[in-house]
Amino acid sequence: MRFEAEAKRALDTATARGADYADVRFGAVHDEHVEVRNGVVSGLADSESFGFSVRVLRDGAWGFASSADISDAEIDRVAAKAVEVANASAKVKGLGISLAPAGKHIDSYTTPYEVDPATVPVEERVRYLLDVEKEIRANKGVTVGKAWIDVWRTDKTYASTEGSMIEQTILQCGSAVHALAVGNGDAQDRIFPGTCGLYQTGGYEIVRKAKLLENARRIGEEAVALLTADQCPSGRMDVVLSGDQVSLQIHESIGHALELDRVMGWEANFSGTSFATLDKLGTFRYGNDRVNVVCDMTCPLALATHGYDDEGTPARSVDLIRNGVLVGYMAGRDTAHVAKVPVGGVVRSEYWGRLPMIRIGNVNLKPGDTPEEQLIGDMRSGIYMESNRSWSIDDKRLNFQFGCQIGYEIKNGKKTRMLKNPTYAGMTPAFWGACDAIGDEKSWVAWGTPNCGKGEPMQTARSSQGSSPARFRDIEVGVGYGD
Amino acid sequence: MAIELTAGPDAIAKVLSDVIAASKVDETEVLFSRSEAALTRYTRNEIHENVIEGDVSLSIRAVVGKRVGVASTSRLDDRAIADTLARAASIARLSPEDPLFPGLPEGGPEPQKLQNAHDAATAAASPDDRAAAVGRIAATMQRNQLHAAGFVATRSDVVAIANSKGTRRYFESTDASVNIKAIGDDSSGYAEGFARALGWIDFDELAAVAAKKAIDGRNPEPLAPGAYTVILEPPAFREFLGYLSWAGFGAQSLDDGSSFIAGRIGEQVMGQNVTIRDDFTHPLSPGIPFDFEGVARTTVPIIDAGVAKDVVYDSYYAAKMKHANTGHALPAPNSYGPLPLNIVVDKGKRSTADLIRSVEHGVLVSRTWYIRLVDQKKMLITGMTRDGLFLIERGVVTRGLKNMRFNESIVDALGRCEMSDELRRSEGMVLPAVRIDGFHFTSGTTF
Repeated sequence: MRFEAEAKRALDTATARGADYADVRFGAVHDEHVEVRNGVVSGLADSESFGFSVRVLRDGAWGFASSADISDAEIDRVAAKAVEVANASAKVKGLGISLAPAGKHIDSYTTPYEVDPATVPVEERVRYLLDVEKEIRANKGVTVGKAWIDVWRTDKTYASTEGSMIEQTILQCGSAVHALAVGNGDAQDRIFPGTCGLYQTGGYEIVRKAKLLENARRIGEEAVALLTADQCPSGRMDVVLSGDQVSLQIHESIGHALELDRVMGWEANFSGTSFATLDKLGTFRYGNDRVNVVCDMTCPLALATHGYDDEGTPARSVDLIRNGVLVGYMAGRDTAHVAKVPVGGVVRSEYWGRLPMIRIGNVNLKPGDTPEEQLIGDMRSGIYMESNRSWSIDDKRLNFQFGCQIGYEIKNGKKTRMLKNPTYAGMTPAFWGACDAIGDEKSWVAWGTPNCGKGEPMQTARSSQGSSPARFRDIEVGVGYGD
Repeated sequence: MAIELTAGPDAIAKVLSDVIAASKVDETEVLFSRSEAALTRYTRNEIHENVIEGDVSLSIRAVVGKRVGVASTSRLDDRAIADTLARAASIARLSPEDPLFPGLPEGGPEPQKLQNAHDAATAAASPDDRAAAVGRIAATMQRNQLHAAGFVATRSDVVAIANSKGTRRYFESTDASVNIKAIGDDSSGYAEGFARALGWIDFDELAAVAAKKAIDGRNPEPLAPGAYTVILEPPAFREFLGYLSWAGFGAQSLDDGSSFIAGRIGEQVMGQNVTIRDDFTHPLSPGIPFDFEGVARTTVPIIDAGVAKDVVYDSYYAAKMKHANTGHALPAPNSYGPLPLNIVVDKGKRSTADLIRSVEHGVLVSRTWYIRLVDQKKMLITGMTRDGLFLIERGVVTRGLKNMRFNESIVDALGRCEMSDELRRSEGMVLPAVRIDGFHFTSGTTF
């Protein structure tokens, strides 16, 4: 395997310095980004980074160090430094850290893909985006048109003093269009697909199935139309959320709330804690009976899917909410024993040089049995909202307010007039309790979130929240724009 | 062309020059950065995360006519650097022309020197030094029957830039910070500290501030939604200004019209007691004296006595909009255009204590959380309070409150405000506390 000798050297050094446990990760990251803005290529970048990190546990205290220099001398220095850091941690220590078993794994994993992005020349990507972006500005009212493609490849090797040696290649792709219209004293954005594009694991087929070219003109036209659309009304009413908006709702009000490190207070000073405390496990009604949520790190296409996480734990599916009741958390090896829940392969780091921590993985709302068109077809009145524009939630994940890019009034089972600035707000358990219909499997998409922030120093992670559109009854709408 | 991981300024400058000499394209820019960031994080009065992260990057911008390509690497050996140069050139050649690209900027004037930007003791701070600071914070909490979560961090950075127009820049700096959330049974309190040197931070004083807030905030009561006079302490005010500067103070948003300032330069847009500038020279600011194109930063008056004066520019938007380059480029490529990174707000005439005494019925806000832009043109934002919300009655802080959600136009709010006379650094900004009348709380939460 790649870096086998270097990994052994790091683990041996850490052990010789007194580590009770150590793991090491070597990584190579290759990111390609192509972006077109108003007819010119505004970003054409190719970045690579290589390096490694050593994590050690000594006397129940963690230490971590990393470097971009993969030389023998630097491996020795960094491994020793990680032990020195752990020794310092032990000076201000409570009960100490203990690890749930992860097993010994000697394995390799590569993301399944159909089209190797390396076979798609950058010239082809540029030409495609220029064509797409031209379509956005087919409507002369569009102020800024943007389109972009991301291709991310991560090769990494994990090894531990428990004997694991795991090599993985993770391939992720994404693309989007963005129209900004300014006028009438207003500025309105539309993005497609979804809130921030279609980001999934896989090859270049992920970019092709996003159908940017087929939708770019419509997105531009919608941005312009929003400038003169009616303001979304304020009050309590029924709402239908698009699947990508439900995805963000899951991310903020379920995903983060069920990260076990947050529940234990490890993020208290920054990302916050959680209302979903350990005493609620197994009994707390998180939502309606229809609400079933899993964290499935094996989910095909989902953006966080991998073979193993960054502490050598195999990917698996863990139930989080079953028939509306809280039944699980996303846990790591150093937290799982506290809640007596399984580890789920969700401990990840931004790249080779950062500390692995519990991150939202693929937190999926299981599809319901309502055909998408029936979600609206059954309604006498209400609001349909699509694609997120702003998102805010308190530091225990209860009080939230979300805004969407576009809305439509629903009258007698049909979408009618376009509405701008739709917002809605609520408290997490009450909101999920008001969910009375979830779209069926046909409308379910593994929506990816490429930019989730957490931790200090802050790290960006890529998560996924698979979802269908869903309907919610008696929701507060129009916050921020009413009286 | 290899760079040793511990290379000093002369060795780095030589390699950057060698890269430019080896380049076969019309223009070449090389941006080198190196950092060691150490952070000791604690919760429940004990250390639970502790890291030293080393990183390095060499980024090359290659220009062929009006075609631009960027490639970067963390490998600093001859072969990797040569490969990165070749990749940047290859990308540039296949990129379509950008007719507005003005070429790389000329060297221009030498950037102003900054004093005390680098502290050797901070660069050499050990895990034991950071653990000792955490231990002092924990001791304060234990004396008060509280626990705390937060971090103590130190970092050292090097940034060097060279281009084929003769620019040669090098800057090294250190920074230190502490974050303290004191936690009681039903309350919490926040304090923070930032400085170029670890030794300039008074951990005991900050721990006492956070602890007092947690103690004073016990048994919090709910507050009815409505419009209140508020005092935003610097950490809360900074979150507001972050959105204002990101969405409104850069040339790109002025050019595309999405900035609230667009079409209003020269107009009164805020109160006459509001003056905001970008000023890396302020003694409390953690600024760098040049931007990521190597252009000397200038101090830019953005809001002067409430009047919209200017925004910040890089070489691209300076050429496009026929304005002087203010030296505010971000690393290429970027989607946001130039942005101010060193916001300074002028102080007022009354102390924060006097501002509190001036409030008949209002709210003291220690910290805000998860602010998002609801409406860019109106600069309407929403967010939550956290870690210390208090009721003010007849000029006295009387009790803790449960946290609230707000929906407020930042621009409108700064039309009915008064700054305190004390400036603090919060992250990259230097700013006072501010009193705002008629601030809109729209809902509450359970804690």
